[in-house]
Amino acid sequence: MNVPAKKRFGPLLLIAPAALLIGVFLVLPYLNIVLMSFRMPGQGTPYGPGFTFGNYGKFFSDFFYISQVINTLWIGFLTTFICLVLGYPVAWQLARGASAFRAVGYALVLSPLLVGIVIRSYGWTILLGNNGIINRTLTGWGIIDGPLPLMYNALGIIIALVHVFLPFMILPIMSAIQGIDPSLEAAARSLGASKVTSFRRITLPLSLPGIQAGCILVFVLSLSAYVTPSLIGGLRVKTMAVTVVDALIDTFQWPFGSALALMLSVTGAIIVVIFGRLTVMKWKA
Amino acid sequence: MSKPFFTVYCLIIYAFLLAPIAVVVIASFNAGAFLTFPPQGLSFRWYVVFFNNEVFMRAIRTSLWIAALTMVISGIIGTMAAMFYVTHAGKLKETVRVAMLAPLLLPEVLTAISLLFFVYSVGLGTQNLVGMIVGHVLITLPFVFINVSASMESYDPAWSLAAQSLGAGRFTRFRRIMLPLIKPGVIGGCLFAFIISFDVFTISFMLKGVGMSTLPIQLFDYLRTNFTPEAAAVSTCSIMLTMAVVIVSEKVLGLRIHRF
Repeated sequence: MNVPAKKRFGPLLLIAPAALLIGVFLVLPYLNIVLMSFRMPGQGTPYGPGFTFGNYGKFFSDFFYISQVINTLWIGFLTTFICLVLGYPVAWQLARGASAFRAVGYALVLSPLLVGIVIRSYGWTILLGNNGIINRTLTGWGIIDGPLPLMYNALGIIIALVHVFLPFMILPIMSAIQGIDPSLEAAARSLGASKVTSFRRITLPLSLPGIQAGCILVFVLSLSAYVTPSLIGGLRVKTMAVTVVDALIDTFQWPFGSALALMLSVTGAIIVVIFGRLTVMKWKA
Repeated sequence: MSKPFFTVYCLIIYAFLLAPIAVVVIASFNAGAFLTFPPQGLSFRWYVVFFNNEVFMRAIRTSLWIAALTMVISGIIGTMAAMFYVTHAGKLKETVRVAMLAPLLLPEVLTAISLLFFVYSVGLGTQNLVGMIVGHVLITLPFVFINVSASMESYDPAWSLAAQSLGAGRFTRFRRIMLPLIKPGVIGGCLFAFIISFDVFTISFMLKGVGMSTLPIQLFDYLRTNFTPEAAAVSTCSIMLTMAVVIVSEKVLGLRIHRF
């Protein structure tokens, strides 16, 4: 087709600003952070001249950092698992429950997402702190003598992370269940399958793509969460994201901080890929 | 599972989702310095403390300015990109969609760190607002894109063609055909961009200049050392502002904002 040049390139002007923004301020910075992780540490400057593998060497030779990655992954696993167990029934209810209930429930699941992450984490410090509602109330009623350790530990971080990311588990599972034809379940029931069997053999396998999407989303989000672990964990329990940000903000170790951030991201990505493969295999089987 | 049990279970989860937010609002009206159950009495004293705290008031003004600026820039760039995506992208459609959603899919903390290094590497630094605004526009762009492209789903290129055959120029076609169709999406996307920008933490935290702070940053700094309900009063005002924007857009303007 013979189109005048002006008409062919005109539409490209529409996408140009967005392409420029994402190319220059997203793609280049991500390439730059890979480069940064191989730079020499600087003296009094964020980074020095020349390149090295030393930042990765420092990571692998210090068990402190490796154990912290393992801790972060562990917190991520638990958060994801608890979100799945807590969220699945709610997702089912939102997809298949009575319609009056559904609209309200949907709004209730979405509304926490409109409140900033700092505020939601702060809410948990009010609830869980040593002087928090739970501890003061229980002490006041004489049920416990001293405050229960609910904050400044992995338990508190996991509780708050589950709260923050639960909607991201519920919503994909909900849309997966909505996509299942209800007559499939009805058919299974009419052929004599019990409620449990019909759920186990029909609904659950067909909602696997939603489970997969939700799990990946929650896992990735909890690995990279900064605000919640920082406020709830305090100085005592640090996740990798907190260590990385502190290494960058407080001590200006840019190359090493980049290496740490990339190690965590790569480990997370590998786990997500393995998980994806495993669930797809299971799903096809 | 029996039905009543199931309903109760879901109600418990909803309560869990709302609890920390409700607690913040209740704590802001609590007379004492610590919140217990039942509360110790109703008081506005923490609001008085908050309104007289120039540090917080300045942070709110900064946040509002940045959110407004972000909304305008993100609104324009995102709308243009969505128009391209729906009408002209052709084979590139999937690529454009993934690229536009990338800021939403990548971990925010990594985006923030890499952007910080980048603005320093190119000599931009963080003493001006450029890095901060760029970060906010990046983070909010997917929301404008999602909303505008969703509002164009029913768009038929034939309408524009018909208008063209009747002699309408490029600008008239946009103003008379396209704009009325995408207006709800544009407004919804912009309002959502405003909310996201107002609430975003990590990007602002990494890209703020010395001595500058937005409301979430100020709140975070405050909470690292203080536990008085003044923070609850600040948070409640922030929640009210967000809710007001949502209620105005959904009830008054009748929009349905797409969040995903």
